[in-house]
Parts: sequence; C-alpha cells; structure tokens
Amino acid sequence: MIKLTDIVVKFGDFEALHNINVHVKEGEFFTFLGPSGCGKTTTLRTITGFIDPVSGTVQMQNRDITHVPIEKRNIGIVFQSYALFPTMTVHDNIAFGLKIKKLKKDEIEKKVTEIAKKVDLSDEQLKKAVSQLSGGQQQRVAIARALVTEPAIICMDEPLSNLDAKLRVQLRNELKKMQKEFGITTIYVTHDQEEALTLSDRIAVFNKGYIEQIGTPNEVYNHSETEFVANFIGDINPLKDEIIRDMQLDENKHHFIRLERLRVNQNAEGEGVFKIQGVIESREYYGLYIKYYITAANQQLKVIEKNDGINIYEPGETVKVGIHPDDVMSY
Amino acid sequence: MQAPTGAKQKYGLGKLWGIFGGVLFVYLFLGFMVMPCLDTLTSIFSAKDAAGNTDPFAVIRFFFAGNMPSFVLNSLKLAVLLVVTVNIVGISIVLLTEYFDIKGAKILRLGYMTTLIYSGVALVTGYQFLYDKDGILTNWLLQFFPNMDRQWFSGFISVLFTMTFACTSNHALFLRNAIRGIDYNTVEAARNMGAKPFKVLLKVVMPTLLPTLFSLTVMTFITGLCAMSAPTLLGYNSINPEIVRLAGSTTADEAFPQARAALLSIILALFTIVLLSVLNHYERKGHYLSVSKTKAKLVKQKIQNPVANVLAHIYAYVLFVIYMTPVVMIIIFSLQNWQAIRSKTLDFSGWTLINYFGSQDYSYTTSRGKTKLRPNAISGVFANEKTIGGIRLSFILSAIAAALACVIVVVAVNYIFKHKNKKRSKAVEACLLFPWLLPTILICYSYRIFFNQNVWYVFGNNLYYAENVRFLIIMAYTVVKLPFALRMVKAAFYAIDEELEDAARNLGASSLVTFLRVKLPIVLPSVLAVFALNFNALFTEYDMSATFHSSHGTSYAMVIQSMCNEEGRDGMNMNASGRRCASTVFIMLVSGLILYLVYGVGARDLGERLAIREKRRKKFENLRNSIGLGGAKEEAVPVDVKEAVK
Repeated sequence: MIKLTDIVVKFGDFEALHNINVHVKEGEFFTFLGPSGCGKTTTLRTITGFIDPVSGTVQMQNRDITHVPIEKRNIGIVFQSYALFPTMTVHDNIAFGLKIKKLKKDEIEKKVTEIAKKVDLSDEQLKKAVSQLSGGQQQRVAIARALVTEPAIICMDEPLSNLDAKLRVQLRNELKKMQKEFGITTIYVTHDQEEALTLSDRIAVFNKGYIEQIGTPNEVYNHSETEFVANFIGDINPLKDEIIRDMQLDENKHHFIRLERLRVNQNAEGEGVFKIQGVIESREYYGLYIKYYITAANQQLKVIEKNDGINIYEPGETVKVGIHPDDVMSY
Repeated sequence: MQAPTGAKQKYGLGKLWGIFGGVLFVYLFLGFMVMPCLDTLTSIFSAKDAAGNTDPFAVIRFFFAGNMPSFVLNSLKLAVLLVVTVNIVGISIVLLTEYFDIKGAKILRLGYMTTLIYSGVALVTGYQFLYDKDGILTNWLLQFFPNMDRQWFSGFISVLFTMTFACTSNHALFLRNAIRGIDYNTVEAARNMGAKPFKVLLKVVMPTLLPTLFSLTVMTFITGLCAMSAPTLLGYNSINPEIVRLAGSTTADEAFPQARAALLSIILALFTIVLLSVLNHYERKGHYLSVSKTKAKLVKQKIQNPVANVLAHIYAYVLFVIYMTPVVMIIIFSLQNWQAIRSKTLDFSGWTLINYFGSQDYSYTTSRGKTKLRPNAISGVFANEKTIGGIRLSFILSAIAAALACVIVVVAVNYIFKHKNKKRSKAVEACLLFPWLLPTILICYSYRIFFNQNVWYVFGNNLYYAENVRFLIIMAYTVVKLPFALRMVKAAFYAIDEELEDAARNLGASSLVTFLRVKLPIVLPSVLAVFALNFNALFTEYDMSATFHSSHGTSYAMVIQSMCNEEGRDGMNMNASGRRCASTVFIMLVSGLILYLVYGVGARDLGERLAIREKRRKKFENLRNSIGLGGAKEEAVPVDVKEAVK
C-alpha cells in the first residue's frame, strides 16, 4: 500500500531521517512511535508530501508519489490540533475539500451528510461553529473532513495529544472502531506507548531518525529487538553486576527485565527461577495492581504485582524475588 | 518547521507577481520614506549664505545663536513634566477602578475612558471652551476667586493640563490589562505573610506593572515631545508648531526657514530613535510573567483606613468631574442656540438642533441703522458647506489610507510568515517599521518640501500642488500608520495555527485560496480593527493636516480649528462655536461606534455569532407564536384548505 524506500530527509546540514524503510499494508493500522524529535512526524510529512526527501522513494499502491504535489496524493490527514477552520461551520469544514474539487452542490451535500452520519455528527452539529463542539466532536469532524474526499489512506499526527486522559482513552476506542468500520489504511503518529500498543496492528519504533524495530505490539513489547525499544516501551529494570554474576549472564551485555516479570514470594516458586532476598522499600497503590520498590542484591527493583487483596506487602517486609532467565532481555 | 533541503522551488505566475510586488514595494519605500527624509537631512547642510555660497554649518550656528534651543527645551520641559503628571493621573485612574474597591467604579471607568473617543483637536478646543478667558468654568471660578487671573488657561500650564488628561488613554487600556493580569494569589500570599495593604501594592503589585509603565512612560515622553494640537491652539512654543510655521515661511521673512525646520525635525527624530531603542532594549529583556498555573482573578481591595477611603473616593470623583465636564458641556452646548453658546450660559429655552442640521439667516443692524440679512449665517455641521467638505475630505482620505495600510500590511505579513527566518522577509518588516522611528512631523515636513516641486521620481509631478496634495496626504497617512498596522496584524497572523495551512493544502487548496478562504477570514477581525482604529485616528488627525493645510487639503481637524477663530466675524458663522461643539459630538459618536464595532461586534468569533443568531431566531419564533403567526398553527391548517387558498 505505502512503501518508503531508503528515505533521507535533511534540514540544512542536519539529517533528520536516515534511510527509512517501511511497508504499510492495505487496511492496516500502522503506528510510528518514538520520543520527541525522533523523526516520526517528519516521516509522516514525507508521506503526505509536506516534505520532499533528499533521496529515496515514497510509493503508494505501487505508484511513485515522491514528487507528487500534496493535493494529488489522495491522502487524508487528521492533524494534531485537528486544524479545523475556525471561521467555518462544521458543515463547511467537511465540505471544504469537496468545494475545492469543484463538485456539484447536491453531490457535496450528499457526501457531507453521509460522512457526518458515519462519524455520528447530527444535522444540528453540522450547523455549529467548530468552537461550539467538544474535543471528541471536533475529532470526529477532523476525521470526517479527512475521509469525505475518499482518500486511499489516512494519516493521523498525534490526534489525541491535546486531550485529557479520560477523553483520550474514550476517543482511542472510538478511533479504532471507526478505522475498522471504514477499513481504511491508517498511519498513526504518537509518542504514547500505551496508545500505540492498544491501537496498532503494527508499530515502527523510531529513534534519532532511524527505525529501531517494526513489529506487532506483542513483538515490540515482549521481544524488543534493541535496548532502546525495550526501554522505551513500558517500564523496565536494568539488572546490575551482582544479579548478572549470580545468574551467570553474559557480562558483556546489558540485561533487563520487565516489572511484571519479576515474581514475589510464592509467585517466585517454580523450576529454573533464580531467587534473591529483598526488602520492600515503598509501594504505590494503583488499585488494579501494586507497584513495589524492592532493594535486593545491591540494587533497586521495581515490581508490579496483581492486587489480589491478600498478598499485600508492607514497607520493611522481607520478600523473595524471583527472576526466570527466559524473561531477561539482553542486548 | 524549517524547509527541508530537498524542497522544490516552483516558478510561474506567482513568481512574476512576487517580482512585481517586490519592485513596487522598493519603489514606494525609496520614494515615500527614504528620499524625502534624506532630502530633509541634506537640506540642513546645504543652506546658502547671503552671497549664495553653500555654508554647511550655517543652520547649526544659527540654531545656537538664536532662540531655537528654546523650542527644544520647551518641548523637553513639556515631555518631562507630562511623564510625571500623566503617570500620576494614569496610575490613579487604573488603581481606583481596577485595584481599589471604590463605589461606582464602573461609572468612573466610563468617565476616565472618554479620551478614547474624544481626543486631539476636538478635546483641546473643548477644554478651551471651558477654561479659556471666557470659558464657563473660568467664569464660574471667578465667582469664588475674584482675584484669579482670567487668562490662567494659556501657555505651558494649559498645555500640560490638557495633555495630562488627554494622554491617559494608553494607561486606561494597557495598564488596566496589566493589572487585571495579576495573579491574586500573590496578593493573598503577601498578606498572609504579614504585609500591609500599602506594602502589598508597593512591593507585589507595582513591580509587575513596571514593564508596562516603562513602555507607557516612553510613549508619553514621545507624545509630549511631538505635541502639536495643544501647543498650537493654546499657544506654547514647542518644536512641532514651530516646524509647521517655518515650513510655511519664506526666506523673505526670515533666515533659511526650511533648513531650520529640517534641523528641528531631525532633532525630534534623534530623540525618538534613542527613546524607542531604549524601549526596545528594555522590552527584549522580557516582562514579568505569571508563573501561576491556576491564576486567581484579582479581588478589589477595600481601603481599610476610613479617612483614606473617603479621600480616595473624593479624589476619584474629582478626576471623574475633570474628565466628564468637557464632554457633558460640549454635548449640552451643542444643543444650545448661538447666543447661549457665545455668552456661555445655559439657556433652558434655547435648545436647538441648528448646530447639527439646517441653516438660518441672521439679521443685524449696521452702525448706520440699516437692517441687513446675512443668509445662512447660522448653519449646522451637516448643512455648512465648509464643514461638510472637511468631513467628506477627511472621511475619504482616512478611509483610503487606512484601507491601503491594511492591504499593504496583510500582503507583507503573509509574505513575512511564508518566508520566515529569511533575510528578505526581515528586510520587508524593517521597512514597514521604519516610519515608527521618525516623528510624524518629520515625514510630513519632508513630503511637503520634497514633493513641492516637479519630482522625476513621481513622473515629474508636483504632489503638493493643488489637488495632488490629497494624494500626498493619503501617502503620509498610510506611511505613518504602517508600523501600528504591522504590529497588530502580525500578532493576528501569529495566532494562525500552521496546521490550518497544511490542512487546506492537503485538501487541495492553492496558496491563494488558502490565503483568501482560510487565513484571511481568521485575521479579518484584527485587520478590520486596525482599519477602524487607524481610520478613527486619521479622521480627526491634526499634525499632518496642519502640515499639509492648503485650499485643496483642508481636513476636518483644520475646519474645527478654524471654527475657533471665525465665530461671528462680520455677521458670518454666527454659530461657529456651536458647530464646533456639534462636530465634537459627531466625532465622539463616530469614534464610539467604531470602537463598539471593533471590540464589541468584531471581537465575536463564529461560535458566538451563531449563538446570538440562534438566540434571536428563537426570540423571533416565540414572538411569532405569541402573536399567533407561529409555524405550529400553520401546520395545523389542513392541506386541502391550503390547496384551496392557492
């Protein structure tokens, strides 16, 4: 569907993207994930045509679109700020692209009404100014505006970043539902790992203008290919000298273990599990789970335990911490 | 975002338009900013002595030998004292209405803000009407203080007094905003730590206002230095009136008047440049920004000491009376007949609209006992040919200039934002800000002298000659208003989300369509506000009008000024003062309406406008229903009946 081959983008002397290669499949929800300044938005803007690469090609449906003007690429965009035109009504915002394409008035009306229905915008809301809508409604307008011109793919640049936590989760679900309904190929940019993991079919993890790993959420989380990916996706414990020595791990490598893979007391029992003695320093209560800070083998370990209401440990309590060698990620 | 290295350059019609626009811009900048001012500068050093030889330092020698330094010193004296008095009154009115709990603060605020709609020559003549030797208030004061000097309202004191109250508009706007931006939690924190109210005001509130106060002080100083209408009308020898006088003088009357005028304008320009540089430097250091994430709204402070509280109230209302009296008197007297106005006593049977509309003949008896009739000697603002001519001319010239300034600035700012961080966009911005460094009088004087000959640069035309002067006035008006327009419009463009432009392009809109349908509607309220404010200022503008005053360039301000002198002379213009009062009321109405449209109606966004429309629609529907014309009743009519009616 979309194929980026050896894309290089420079800003003056600064090389923002180094040989980026991505292949997004038809109907896929593909996410560019990474910290600020890693190149994910630059890659998206290269696909949408706002940035011309110094070298490399962008192909869409096997057609080279590297130098095709923005408006002729047939790509819908949902911007970070939604970029809804404040001086137009919701209706006019959605109809803008159709008017530019010089469609007939009744055809425009038909398409606007159809798409509004699909994204659950009422006739009343169509007459309103965008400033009169809530954050969620504005998002739907942005999606409707991007979809009404029937693009081949839709690109979303951190569309949830300006919303509060609760609304974010709610809209995240709506977004996923809508994407499945429309069946449209979607490229999504975010720095939020949770968002990427919950929404995506596949994720590309960016770092300093390179792609560190491309894979399904399970692959990037449980089988992180690089230290950066392991560190960036979810929380992680670096294992220090004493544990590395005692577990006879390769001392030339860095070793990590995810918080939920550490086992405490009775959970630490089992074949092949390496056990160490630790003391609970403090704990954070999250309801669904409890996070413990444990001092063991001359280092601090963060552990997440399911809150079963029974096995709750107090600060100062001595506990057994178990590490299964299979859970250790080494780089 | 910085343009990527690989970005393509597009050539075509747009590029041609760009080149044409660039050439036109350079042509106008050189012709209407650089060349006239350079000509003024060089004229100082090209004065000729009696033998006809060029003597580069003759004017400078003359400057120090004659009384010219006194004009500079007078202007400096006015500027320095004005800074003190304007700040005292300006800070007082803001504290009294925004910080302290003074009863009737809303009414007081309205009174203090009257200078926003009542300024310039209209205000000065209004003060004259009240305070000059025959003024209403002078007469009233003489009843209590018989030994008082009847002519107390003249010269320096009168200029200082008038300008003190005329120049607090900026305080009323900007200092008010600054004080409203204070985080009340900081006040509460200081009180909580034991600071007394006065200490809180001094140590917590005032420091946050200092940057604004500094800017206001510099602007007030420049206003004082460049004062024109008050010194001219009230008789005070400062720089600007002298420049205008010299500009109209000839070598037959005195030694090199033009070169002296040029020298004075250059001195004024130097002062302005130094002051604005200081201001710019200070502004770059940054302002105090509230670090609070949850800013609390300022709560008005009650003055605890009862004596201080009473004194503060008295002070507030005395200021209110000073601000309001001229306004109220002008309105009242604009509705009185000429006899009442001339005697400056209210005649409760003499109410009339003749100062506004219509005309009357005036009959009088000559010294030989003959009765003569002077047709239309009494006429209203809208019936007097000269007045209506001034209004028409000022209206047209101001509207064209205000629109021109907006168009130039909008196109330029769009260019500046499109080519951000490029040298050419910075150069365009610098060119548009250039007039800010030059006093208005220097620009006008330079135009008057430079273009008062056949100039090759404008295709051999004399732009000061006959009706051409109107074009020159438009150019001067436009140039002078460019910096203000640029600052305001640029701020509006900053508010445009860059993603909007991307979104429009993504949806297939060209640069022109994006500009016209997306960006322009967003900045339009600000552009219209700039247009309105510039129009407001230019409509009754005095400084430039006085410099370009000629039979073809008699603007409204000059007509108002002339009304001060011509009242009743030879039985003509019997109600010149009444017409002047009516003119002032007319100006207040126009200014008030414009401010309402700009800040009241124009500030509403689409959401607010739609909400108001919806509210009105519902009201209208309710009304229709209540009088039995509602849709529900119409629907109740059977279809066949409707058909029958058809």
